[in-house]
Amino acid sequence: MLRSLLDTLLVARFELMRALRTWRALALAVLYVIALSGATYIYVRILWFIEAGLAETLGVPMTEKPGAMMDELMDNGELQRMIREMSGTPDAVEYLLTWPLLAVWGLWIGILLLPFLATSASAECISIDMSTRALRFEALRTGRAELVLGRFFGQVGLTGIAAICGLSGAWLVGMTQMVGNDPVFLATGLAALGLRAWLFGLPFIGLGVAFSQLTASPNWARVLAVGSTAGSWIAFGLAREFRDTSWGWLCDLVLQVLPQGWLQGLWTPNEWLISGLVYIALSLCAVGLGFVRFARRDL
Amino acid sequence: MSDALVFEQVSKRYGRRGVKALDDLSFRVPKGAICGFVGPNGAGKTTTFSVVSGYLRPDSGRFAILGHEGFEPFALKGRLQVLPQDADLGNQHTPRELVTHLAQLGGLSGAEARRAASDALDMVRLTDRRDKRIGTLSHGMRRRVAVASALAGRPELVLLDEPTAGLDPVQAQSLREVLADARGQRTLIISSHNLDELERLCDWVVMVDHGRCIRQGTVAEVTGRSSRAVWRLGPGDLPLDAITSAVPAHRFSIEGRELHETAGPEGDLDASSLRIARVLAEHGIAIREVRRGQSLERTFIEDAGR
Repeated sequence: MLRSLLDTLLVARFELMRALRTWRALALAVLYVIALSGATYIYVRILWFIEAGLAETLGVPMTEKPGAMMDELMDNGELQRMIREMSGTPDAVEYLLTWPLLAVWGLWIGILLLPFLATSASAECISIDMSTRALRFEALRTGRAELVLGRFFGQVGLTGIAAICGLSGAWLVGMTQMVGNDPVFLATGLAALGLRAWLFGLPFIGLGVAFSQLTASPNWARVLAVGSTAGSWIAFGLAREFRDTSWGWLCDLVLQVLPQGWLQGLWTPNEWLISGLVYIALSLCAVGLGFVRFARRDL
Repeated sequence: MSDALVFEQVSKRYGRRGVKALDDLSFRVPKGAICGFVGPNGAGKTTTFSVVSGYLRPDSGRFAILGHEGFEPFALKGRLQVLPQDADLGNQHTPRELVTHLAQLGGLSGAEARRAASDALDMVRLTDRRDKRIGTLSHGMRRRVAVASALAGRPELVLLDEPTAGLDPVQAQSLREVLADARGQRTLIISSHNLDELERLCDWVVMVDHGRCIRQGTVAEVTGRSSRAVWRLGPGDLPLDAITSAVPAHRFSIEGRELHETAGPEGDLDASSLRIARVLAEHGIAIREVRRGQSLERTFIEDAGR
């Protein structure tokens, strides 16, 4: 058992080291930084627009950067409506307003982007080494389960690093493009809610690793994984739409196994941990499903 | 002597109606031997190595590696190492990082693995390149990195599939010396088309063709070094009757100026050589050369061509 654990960690460390040296990992991090920073910048402009409206209503002068009227902004119905729509959880608005607005925005963007980036990167982690047979060097020295789990944890680490880079970009935008942000509070908020976005990404990493075990073609694995991620959002939308019909039982079942079905918990103070545990379980299930084939296949 | 590797009627087919790569293959390799694994292209050599390494699962039959039934990665951790024929090493790591990682996965501690990697890279003369990215190394150097990964640590059984492929003559010779140094310390099974190389290096041979073992034994047995001799003689009438009378237990035939001698099960080529030399001297026939057995290559061509 201890040996298994050690092997898994060794493979994970090596996978992470390797991933960090490929242009794909760099692309993942850069893409996430650009996307999150860009989206944060747009959000800052939206806040500035709302603040401008407020300033006009109150008859006070506008500032060059948003953030000076944060208390008034928090009470603004338009902003609260926006947060309600983003989270899909009306009860969570009050709780979410205790966090920096940029952190709430970061969580929302993370939920949208991380699954695609995570599946895209993780889909090749095994398939590429099956195609070049590089996997044989490790496969000789450890069990296939340790090999797969190690690769999965390596990808989890890689996505975590990409998330940290992206959140750092968002923090930088917040500190330079807004006024009144406490650097520590903003960093803590981004980290705490960023963690939840990363947890949401886990099942999608599992999905990528699952497809990576099924085929020796990294491109085909990526197409399947990204396609399934897109499909999961469509399935989520359909399940919510038809929940109140006679197919409700099926919709409920689909929502139980889809990561998106547990999304609401991420926006709440108490249930995010439960959602996180479900995401860990779902990710391991996805990896396990791929492993059923991988355990028997010729390498 | 116990066996490092035993195959008993192992079969493997690729796809349901595909080629039968191994067809009831049975052979054994004694512990401590340097074994040449010989066969034409498509004979099943790489498939056999892949089965031993756990990359492929056989359809039927049994095999034992170092006393363990089948491939069991944790039981064989660090004891079995393989140089696959065409596996890529990846480009991102340095030789030192890769070999250290594989040695650690092979059961060594961090410090032991670093030492083993350093020794193995020294052994294949890559000390000055050990911290360069593998992607920047030449084909021959990459091959040597792979060989280092197979030799790092204390493996008891090492399978090397075409170890000198892509190496220049100097590198190949140096690698042969490294492998020869392992004699008696570990069991090496080497697959190669260079039969001269194998004949010089190996003491055990397994010949396969069409997925079956067609011959196995010590190099002396397989090439007939202990049972066959060829005498190349000078001019004069060859006294075949006199020689046959002098050594009645052996069979003789003449091809041109060559006298072919085959010893029976109880035969002794050393004892017979004295008597044959005496007969030839009495008849005034010069002995130009005496060869024991035939080359591994000729044996292989004869057997595989049958």
